Amino acid sequence: MLEIKLGENGEVVLSGRFDASQADKAESFLADVKDSRVVDLKDLSYISSLGLGVLLSAQKRLMASGHSLRLVNVRGHVREIFHFSGFEQVFEIEPTPPA
Amino acid sequence: MISRVEKSFPRSAACLPEIFEFMEAFFERSGIAEPHRNPTEFAVEELFTNLVKYSRGGTRDISIELTREADRLVVSLTDFDVEPFDIRSLPDAKVDLGLEERKPGGLGIHLVRRMVDQIDYRYEDGRSTTTFVKSLE
Repeated sequence: MLEIKLGENGEVVLSGRFDASQADKAESFLADVKDSRVVDLKDLSYISSLGLGVLLSAQKRLMASGHSLRLVNVRGHVREIFHFSGFEQVFEIEPTPPA
Repeated sequence: MISRVEKSFPRSAACLPEIFEFMEAFFERSGIAEPHRNPTEFAVEELFTNLVKYSRGGTRDISIELTREADRLVVSLTDFDVEPFDIRSLPDAKVDLGLEERKPGGLGIHLVRRMVDQIDYRYEDGRSTTTFVKSLE
């Protein structure tokens, strides 16, 4: 199950599993984001192609008005999926710092 | 060591939590290590949702079969009474494009190819079966 909320500093926090059954929830939350945001993925353990599409759509919409999403704490499976999707070309991505 | 399970699911993305539950129970029972689980679940989700969206003529439930062999996991999705649908013929996504040219969608099968080690396809008497292999080494 996916959880999506605003963190203490206004960042978007995604946690849990972002599969196709959760896309509507994320899409409707991100539709209310109108300016540049950090998206913290520290506790996101899984993402599928529909989840990628939701992030990509939000980025396209925001960049059209001069804003963007910056993805931080990208790790494990999610990092691998972003890499093979070429997301480094379209997002600023900050991996999890080494422990 | 060989263990095998099979279960059918209605053709709806709303079934995904149930599919993951079925897979996780099998992974636990057959000792599939953590790093192999997400890529396998990813491939099943993408193949399943592709069948739901694009398989022509499909109305029946989709069967998912998981087989643990010594050093690999073999996963088959079978769709019944449908036209042939071989995902191996689909092109890779163009992932080197800039944001303006990128369109959401088309990434699923591109990524499945990179998550698994082998993809096969078989069609017989209206049964359309996609099988993939995930090495456990």
